[in-house]
Amino acid sequence: MNRNVQLLWNGLIPENPIFRLALSMCPAVAVTTSVQNGLMLGLAVVFVQVFSSCTVAIFKSFIHPRIRIPAYVIVIALWVTVIDMILPVISPEVYKQVELFVKLIVVFAIIISRLELFASKEPLIPSFFDGLGMGIGFLFGLCLIGAIREFFGTGQLFGFDILGFNPLLIMVLPAGGFFVIGFIMAIFNWIEYKLTGKIPTSGGAH
Amino acid sequence: MKEIFKITMSLTAVCIAASLILGFVYAKTDHARKLNEERIEQQTIQGLLGFGADKKAPDDLKIFPVYRYVITSPRGETSLGYVLPLKGDKVVLVELDLSGKPIRVIPIDASISSLADQANRDNIINGSLPKGSKSVWAQTIFVADRGGKRLSYVVPGVIQGFKTFIKLMVSLTPDFTVSGVAVTYSEEDPGLGAEIQKDFFRNQFVGKTLDLIKKLSVVKEPLPADYALSLDPVKAKQKGLTAEQVKEIKTKHLNDDIYALTGATISSRALTKGVVNTVQKFVKRLEILDEAIKKEQLSIAF
Repeated sequence: MNRNVQLLWNGLIPENPIFRLALSMCPAVAVTTSVQNGLMLGLAVVFVQVFSSCTVAIFKSFIHPRIRIPAYVIVIALWVTVIDMILPVISPEVYKQVELFVKLIVVFAIIISRLELFASKEPLIPSFFDGLGMGIGFLFGLCLIGAIREFFGTGQLFGFDILGFNPLLIMVLPAGGFFVIGFIMAIFNWIEYKLTGKIPTSGGAH
Repeated sequence: MKEIFKITMSLTAVCIAASLILGFVYAKTDHARKLNEERIEQQTIQGLLGFGADKKAPDDLKIFPVYRYVITSPRGETSLGYVLPLKGDKVVLVELDLSGKPIRVIPIDASISSLADQANRDNIINGSLPKGSKSVWAQTIFVADRGGKRLSYVVPGVIQGFKTFIKLMVSLTPDFTVSGVAVTYSEEDPGLGAEIQKDFFRNQFVGKTLDLIKKLSVVKEPLPADYALSLDPVKAKQKGLTAEQVKEIKTKHLNDDIYALTGATISSRALTKGVVNTVQKFVKRLEILDEAIKKEQLSIAF
């Protein structure tokens, strides 16, 4: 398989930021009460991750290694603010919906960890695909959690009434987020165990 | 020593580059963003008055702004200045002292539409005040007028929310019954506090009279199912509720307090407090202003 495709696939399933790396769990629990919320935050993360990864990949030789973390934070904050300023001009309707999500991104662990682990060592093209893959993986995770929570918590999907009643209200409450993420993580680990025969090592959550 | 110098230089360079990019983007987008914000504000006002894409506003509907300024005289006394549109596209500034007595009426040499831009308006108002006085813009109230009769007031307000400020707009009928509430800016958490923007929460305020507003509080009880249905026009339509049925349910629950959002009591309380404060302050101010207008015999446009 082509390396770039491999990187994209890596971020989506084998190294999914939420279920495999266990990074940026706070937004994954807090925001995902509906698919739409998950989709909006996911899209915002894809943009910031790709732009930040590319910027760091281009300018990595100019960044002094001892101040790389503050420099990365500035890069992320820069892109978040730029998107926050450009989006209301391009499309005020979309901005009204994603406004709240865009401002949350500066502090996401997944973005800075990809800059530190990947973009600061690799050239531009692989960094782009790594950022895109991780962003899409995050988007996929948020949508999956959001869909399960919205469906079981409110009986709806994308705001459309499907069941007409609430099967499990706890799913839209914060506790439901932990349940859903825990179960999906268990399924991911079980699949890995079945495929490789090894018990997966635990990752540190942030 | 040499390394610390290098590090400082490097970080400074990163910061300068970032701020240059931000400054460039800000300069390029600022104007367009302000225009969009104004357009959205106008849409919000129209929406609060009950007009939108599906129901166009009639041609004889006019929306007049009333600007409230806080004026400080050279001796340090504070007074209030209301910029009012007069009949025949003239504008006056009515200056009131803190007890509500009119101090002076200053004619302003500009049309009300040319005062929409804040920087321009501030200049004109400051220029027409006596020497040494300073004025600061405080609030813009909108009065909707149709055929010489006041249709409703749209009043903006601000309140501390869960994270930062919530900016809201309340529309009132001439007898001070709430006819709509809109959240124009908030940074509450999506899925929790941000639900204050949803129809089923905002519409709980609609129909509350001034007496009810004065003693309004928030209860931590689940929203009754029939009430929730009547508050959401889209869902009521899906369930096939007629307008009369919706009205009946709303009348039944008219005296209810505001039902708090699950997991977002602070945001629910904040918006409720914001609406109550905004309405009460506005009613008091309008009373004083109307009296002053009568005393000075001004023929205002609304």
